[in-house]
Amino acid sequence: MTTQSRRRFTQFVLGLVTVLLASTLVFLYLKAARDQTASYTQSRDLIRQLQQLNAQWDSEVLKARIAITHNYDPLVTPLTEMTRIWAELNRRDTYHNPSDLSGWQATQAAYQIAVQEKARLVDQFKSHNAVLRNSLAFLPTAEDDIQAQFNRLDDEGRLQLQGVATDTYDLLLSSLEFAQVTSDDRAADILVGLGKLATNKEQLPSEFQGPVDLLSNHIALILREQPVVNNLLERIAEVPVAERLDDLTTHLDQDQQAADRIDHQYHRYLLIFSTLLVAMLLYLAVRLLRSFAEINRVNRELQAANETLEQRVERRTQQLKDAQSELLDSARQAGMAEIATNVLHNVGNVLNSVNISADLVTRKLRSSKALGLGKAMQLINEHKADLGTFLTDDEKGKLLPGYLNQLVDAIASEQQAMTDELAQLSKSVDHIKDIVSTQQSYAGASTLLEPVHISALMEDALRMNAGALSRHHVTVVKEYAQIPEILADKHRLLLIMVNLISNAKYAMSKLSDRPRQITLKVQAREDNILQISVKDDGEGIPAENMTRIFTHGFTTRKEGHGFGLHSCALAAVEMNGQLSAHSDGPGLGAVFTLTIPMTPAGSPA
Amino acid sequence: MSEVSRYRFGVMLVLCSGLTQSLAAAPLDEALKPLPPVPALDPAKVELGRRLFNEPRLSVNNTLSCASCHQLETGGADNKPFSLGFDGKPVQVNTPSVFNASLNFKQFWNGRVDTLQAQIEQVVISPMEMGSDWNTVVQNLTALPLYQRAFSQAYPDGVTAANVQNALATYERTLLTPNSRFDQYLLGNTEILTLQEKYGYQRFKDYGCIACHQGINIGGNMFQKFGVMGDYFKARGNPVEADLGRYLVTQEEDDRHVFKVPSLRNVAVTAPYFHDASAKTLEEAVDVMFKYQLGRNPNQEDKDLIVQFLKTLTGEWAGKPL
Repeated sequence: MTTQSRRRFTQFVLGLVTVLLASTLVFLYLKAARDQTASYTQSRDLIRQLQQLNAQWDSEVLKARIAITHNYDPLVTPLTEMTRIWAELNRRDTYHNPSDLSGWQATQAAYQIAVQEKARLVDQFKSHNAVLRNSLAFLPTAEDDIQAQFNRLDDEGRLQLQGVATDTYDLLLSSLEFAQVTSDDRAADILVGLGKLATNKEQLPSEFQGPVDLLSNHIALILREQPVVNNLLERIAEVPVAERLDDLTTHLDQDQQAADRIDHQYHRYLLIFSTLLVAMLLYLAVRLLRSFAEINRVNRELQAANETLEQRVERRTQQLKDAQSELLDSARQAGMAEIATNVLHNVGNVLNSVNISADLVTRKLRSSKALGLGKAMQLINEHKADLGTFLTDDEKGKLLPGYLNQLVDAIASEQQAMTDELAQLSKSVDHIKDIVSTQQSYAGASTLLEPVHISALMEDALRMNAGALSRHHVTVVKEYAQIPEILADKHRLLLIMVNLISNAKYAMSKLSDRPRQITLKVQAREDNILQISVKDDGEGIPAENMTRIFTHGFTTRKEGHGFGLHSCALAAVEMNGQLSAHSDGPGLGAVFTLTIPMTPAGSPA
Repeated sequence: MSEVSRYRFGVMLVLCSGLTQSLAAAPLDEALKPLPPVPALDPAKVELGRRLFNEPRLSVNNTLSCASCHQLETGGADNKPFSLGFDGKPVQVNTPSVFNASLNFKQFWNGRVDTLQAQIEQVVISPMEMGSDWNTVVQNLTALPLYQRAFSQAYPDGVTAANVQNALATYERTLLTPNSRFDQYLLGNTEILTLQEKYGYQRFKDYGCIACHQGINIGGNMFQKFGVMGDYFKARGNPVEADLGRYLVTQEEDDRHVFKVPSLRNVAVTAPYFHDASAKTLEEAVDVMFKYQLGRNPNQEDKDLIVQFLKTLTGEWAGKPL
């Protein structure tokens, strides 16, 4: 029990240790194998794309600034792409250093603010640049229109307005220069030029009005928009989108370094742990090898022991076989002895009756009245001559016929008694015969059921004990209920009753202070059980013997062999019945009760 | 370098030989770009979006669907100056075409949202337009097994406001009008335009219309002040809040009267024009543009040429010209 629980405990501890080691290994492996380099690389790649797009955006702004292209789509698409990539970047679970999460989020927010600011500025730039480029492109045409008007004038008029034409041309030039190099001086020049143009317009013919207005409108626009555009360009350049992206990259780099450090740490742990495990495995292997050697050695010893053991077992088996056959023999002999005892006992009981009957007949014969017949015949023979006289006159002769008559009667009764006794004798002999034949079919299971009158059977049993009972002056009280003829094993029943009556008689043999009385009671119980009890007022049974009285070999009598009650109990069981004993204690008598199933004769057995 | 010139020489040869014009057709490199092909999108979502586009349950009183104002047969808008909201009252700005709207860099006249989804989100809850709210819309749609089935097929989380918007936006991405004559011209089929139309295009570029109306959507990629060269709103009179344009979004003085430059695709079939629907015809619109945006004084012939050019921008929908 303790060994088993200890083993179970050891198994539990071993399992626990195994699980612990395995989970440590898995934990370390996962920690070490969670290589985030890829995700960092991807994130940085996305940021690099953002940087490229940002640069592309800048270059497109510059292209638009110098009017290489009129298409503003390239100023929209980088932002669209950047928004898409940013969303993708945010979907990624890159950042995992919670202590610096707020810093990361702040950097992200700063980027977004920068991008929004830049987008706003670029949108404004697009609007202002578009109109500025239009006006700048239109300036030469506007100037040409005015010059065309001049050309249409005659030489005189042209000479008159030479100054105006020159002024206009100067204004055009300074406007174009202003577009290249925007300075307050030039702005002032242009303002002056515009003022002059307004003044000159008054001198010009009406057909000049339209073109001059257009020109001055557009120059005014250039004057207004160029600084705006320049300012916007400066502000766009100042928006720190690239810096914010660099910040993000730096952040990622730092984070990755931290993660790498942790990774390395876990790699180291993993290495140490693996080394430990290997050492443990080596140790276990050595232990295992040793165990193997030990096991082999023990195995060999066991084998040797086994061989000797086998020989011993063989020897022992032989001995056992011999012993068994001996036992069988003795058992057979014992069985035969028991049968013999049984038979002898039962036969002895019956022989008692036979003895008594024979004794009785012998005594009857010895004291037979037939002797008187001889005397009578002697008298007759003496008076053969005068027989008539003798019979009529002689004193003795007169009595003779009467005497003979009495004698006849006496002999007749004597004969009758002897016939009865001989019948009893032959019955007993028959019983002996039956006992012997019963025992010959030893199994005893063969039960011969025959119709039996219980009261007659009881009488037979009493009769078999009659001599002893009368010798011991035992009174028999009979309380027989009316029992119909039943099917029963007559001989077993008889055997039991004879035994019980005999026992009762013996039990009272030492009794001197009160009359000896046996009470036989036969009754039918309600549950179709026949109950026969034999009660005596004898010495009783001590409680300590109560359990043993039915066992083989138990007896309280000097000459007893302890077989009677045993065989009775067996017989009762063989009849599907039961024999029980009851006593109130020593000196208080005993009751033996036999119960057997009651099968009325005539019903199918 | 030599390879390139040899290639050019080859092209020249083919051109000169005049075997086939279409074979030689190389896309032109212009500031105006041809319409991109319809993107490949989840057909289930597109179909669901199409159904939702025509679904009056999106409006509070089940009177208006998207298609009520954005009629695909009439250029993706209606021909009213101001479409009528769910309550029968006119809205504040002219309905822009839904066609090619996905190519605009922002949505609404004042560009107040960046995405089609956000545009849909606002129109449904706008008290002037559909007047509903998204909870109600989702409830109403969920009540219909038809939609429940369609949504669960297209989206793992079934009917949600975001999915309704996504489905509609997905559908609207398919609403492109390809194959306009000008697109064919840009793709290299230079014979498709008449000489007049080509002159018109030339004028369009020369006068600087192209400064704002360019790119794949011929507009729709920038903001511009309405009235660069003069005060349009003063001249028009009767100013309303919607005239403030982007100012309403940013509250910045610079953004007063600033609007998203509209696309000129299908412009011939989307009259009236401008956010205030003040121009009933293309000619009027061109005049206003010259006066207040370009500050130029073109002759009638040039304006006619430009109008002729603008008419080549009309594309096809469902295989038929708009």
